[in-house]
Amino acid sequence: MKRRTVLKSSAAALAVPMVGASRAQSPTTVRWWYHFDNPQASPASLIAKFEGENPGIKVQAESIPWGGGNDYYTRLYAALVAGNAPDCAMVKLGNQSRLLQMKALAPLDDLLAGWAARRDISENLWKMHRAPDGRNYYVPLQYVVLYLYYRADLFAAAGVQPPRTFDDFLKAAQAVQKGGVSAFGMRGGGGGHDHWGSFVLGAGANFEPGGMVSARALEANRWFVELGTKHKLFPISAPTDGFRQIVDNFKAGRTAMTIHHIGSANEMVQALGDKVSAVPVPVGADGKGWTSFGDESNAVFAASKVKEAAFKWVAFLSTGEHNVAFNAFTGQLTVTDSGASKWNLHPKRFVDATAASTALMGTLPNSTKTADFTRTVWPQQMQRALLGQTTPDAMMQAFERHFHG
Amino acid sequence: MRSRPVEPLLFLLPALLVTAAVILYPALQTVWLGLHSFVLFDPDSMRFVGLGNFSAIVADELFWISLSNSVIWVVCAVGLQFALGLVTALLLNQTFAGRSLARALVVVPWALPSVIIGLMWTWMYDLNLGVFNDLLMRVGLIDAPVAWLAQPGTALAAVILALVWQGFPFFAVMILAGLQTIPSEHYEAAAMDGASRWQTLRFVTLPALREVIATALLLRTIWVANSLDVILVMTGGGPGYETHTLPLYAFLKAYSAMEFGYASALSLVLTLLLLGAVAFYVRRVARQALA
Amino acid sequence: MIDRRSRLRRFVEVELPIALIVAFALGPYVWMVMTSIKPEAEIGTFPPSYIPREATFVHYETLAARTSFLGNLMNSLIVALGAVAVGLGVSVPAAYAFSRFRFRARNPLLVGFLVINMVPVVLLIIPLFVLMRQLGLLDTFVGIVMGHATFAIPFSVWMMTSYFNALPRELDEAATVDGASRLQAIRLVILPLAMPGIVTTGIYIFVTSWNEYLFAMMLSGQNVRTVTVALQSFIGEFSIQWGLLTAGGTLVAIPATVLFLIIQRRLVGGLTSGAVKS
Repeated sequence: MKRRTVLKSSAAALAVPMVGASRAQSPTTVRWWYHFDNPQASPASLIAKFEGENPGIKVQAESIPWGGGNDYYTRLYAALVAGNAPDCAMVKLGNQSRLLQMKALAPLDDLLAGWAARRDISENLWKMHRAPDGRNYYVPLQYVVLYLYYRADLFAAAGVQPPRTFDDFLKAAQAVQKGGVSAFGMRGGGGGHDHWGSFVLGAGANFEPGGMVSARALEANRWFVELGTKHKLFPISAPTDGFRQIVDNFKAGRTAMTIHHIGSANEMVQALGDKVSAVPVPVGADGKGWTSFGDESNAVFAASKVKEAAFKWVAFLSTGEHNVAFNAFTGQLTVTDSGASKWNLHPKRFVDATAASTALMGTLPNSTKTADFTRTVWPQQMQRALLGQTTPDAMMQAFERHFHG
Repeated sequence: MRSRPVEPLLFLLPALLVTAAVILYPALQTVWLGLHSFVLFDPDSMRFVGLGNFSAIVADELFWISLSNSVIWVVCAVGLQFALGLVTALLLNQTFAGRSLARALVVVPWALPSVIIGLMWTWMYDLNLGVFNDLLMRVGLIDAPVAWLAQPGTALAAVILALVWQGFPFFAVMILAGLQTIPSEHYEAAAMDGASRWQTLRFVTLPALREVIATALLLRTIWVANSLDVILVMTGGGPGYETHTLPLYAFLKAYSAMEFGYASALSLVLTLLLLGAVAFYVRRVARQALA
Repeated sequence: MIDRRSRLRRFVEVELPIALIVAFALGPYVWMVMTSIKPEAEIGTFPPSYIPREATFVHYETLAARTSFLGNLMNSLIVALGAVAVGLGVSVPAAYAFSRFRFRARNPLLVGFLVINMVPVVLLIIPLFVLMRQLGLLDTFVGIVMGHATFAIPFSVWMMTSYFNALPRELDEAATVDGASRLQAIRLVILPLAMPGIVTTGIYIFVTSWNEYLFAMMLSGQNVRTVTVALQSFIGEFSIQWGLLTAGGTLVAIPATVLFLIIQRRLVGGLTSGAVKS
């Protein structure tokens, strides 16, 4: 009897530390999907740091091919449908309404309240990422703001200043278009709505009901389309030019201006050195304008079983120095105020242009129709208008119909 | 050899099982979806609409544009691939120095993935940085660069050229192989009858190749009719609707607008049209395959 | 046939057109190779430069050392060979049945396989993804191999059927007269004779699988990434890595082309017997 009791109690004594040990030993795994432009960049160093600070959480990062955005989001939607989605992933605002409608996102307000570094991200940024229901589902990760690249040398030779207003833009464009160089590398392919937006949304069109067919909106759009069809200030390849064409052609010196963002700044400087500089996009005479806010955030998915751990990882990536380290991989700008103050990853004039453009930042509406607009509807109508297959007014009417039936 | 009825089934079973498991279920799901109005991000409002999608398709202007583009696409791409492939095969059948090397090099286009082909050809067509404009201007055939992919007149032709480049090796190889089977007695007999080279080609060579050509054309037509990856990379369907083909339209409906119901219906229409064309073709030409 | 044309005429009618056709076939590929050995600064210049001023192999070095490209090549090889094994393993018996047996379902099934080819793959992607997930085959070699094999099977069945049709039935009869069972007849007589056809079909499956992107992208993950997906990763949101992309593209074409070079004699002979009418 005694021996049995001894055995029993020693077994019990052994069991307790075992249970304790096993609980400490099974880490939570957080699956995170990301996409980097540069396939050589790897988040391994950031992951190691995070895991060091958070023993018990393991991050499994999966790089998903971007494929122009289509492949990345096809994979994400398919995974959500199949019940196989990651715990968190990089996402853009353009998809927020669709993801919300699929009830795929987890609201993060409670977790955000307890996160100290939240204050390091400006209230304006939080506002831009908030969902229509007032809750926060996205944690801003990085951003770019579109500005106007221009050839400082060509402008100096033509004796014109970089344009401030739309009228300045027309005059400057006509002055620098010579010698086979097109004035403005306009992007008519997918994603080109950013260019159009600066000139049309910036001049008074908007996405409210009737906002595309108001007198101001139609006038602005006609003016913009005529830059190409009447004044011939766009290269003839503009209808199908994508970001690659506008950047490559500007680098090769075939266009005098184009609109893009700091993500291409280092590339531009490598090709053109001091000949390239940037200013905010043109605005109206009243100083009002619009430029595209290129966002990227992390979201946590509703079906995740490790939401808190996933949030910790997501928050880590948007915190001060870690965020800056992340940006070194992606070439975009930090969302943190602390990181921005000591920024040295891009030449100063482009950071300044970005900063000066933040007052004009706008996003497309948080509607389920937006993704289709940017991918298919806008390019089709714009291309047809540039080719004279449809009128500028009919183009705006098509947009109005797309969003408001 | 007498065979028990169950024997053929045993031989067929692996193929049937694999096909059924991997394709049949998703294919049937596509048919089922075609009868519904279904938007991927709005699963709660999915509803049965019967033939509603199909009547919408008939009234859809873009469907007819895509259909006519598809017809031009298939006829030109397959026709030119076949013509070039036939000429290549006939030439590769002759004797000349370096013949083995030529035969192998001709298949390089076939050995490249579509994404590379799309990107390289888009770059070659580039207005300023592309080699086509550069070479044509140097030679003096054009005086100003042409925006091949951004103009209505040239966009579809430009993409078709890329596809002809990609696909002609397939025909070249298949026809070349078929040429090897023609017994030399047939050529000798024709020569003795005083037939010219052209007559030999027309009355001896081509008839002997009939089954090979028929099968190759059939399979290639189906493949080209359904293909969209090269167009997607090169123009995305633009400019405007110029390079919209039916599969591309269905793709955009599915992955851009996320209207999977409508997209499924579109692809069903495409499948039925193909089936009709193939049935007609098989009945008239490839009867031997099913004999 | 005795060729009685003059040397000059032969040159104009044979060698010259062949040279033009080979130039056409190789042109874009050569442009890609040239680009892959240019330093980054020389790519995308105006006007386009053809011969690099200073050739460099830095892109190939980066590809090998700093990306997973070589591993992806290996993955593609495994997937392609797997697809060939499964595809042939399944279509050869099926083709034999279509060739040697006559049964009521024969024609409908043959046409049925053709119809499978007609279904636009693109729309099947998401249901297929869901199916693979339920079977637990995501991000596995088996999953992608199954996907590739399945889409190669219809064509393979048709091709192999015509090769078997070319082998006279008398061969089967002769074997069984000697006491062989049907399976032995197949193994010892039919298969060896149909080998060129099998090789040809195998090559078609290999090339199709090697170049395939859609399935590979959807069904692969961290563990199994093919070379087509890897190439796509050089095309980013804000930049295209032309150097790495063209270097990768150059390498991608080589295995299939070399395979062709080796097999091309047999390939030609193989398709041959398929077209013979006995």
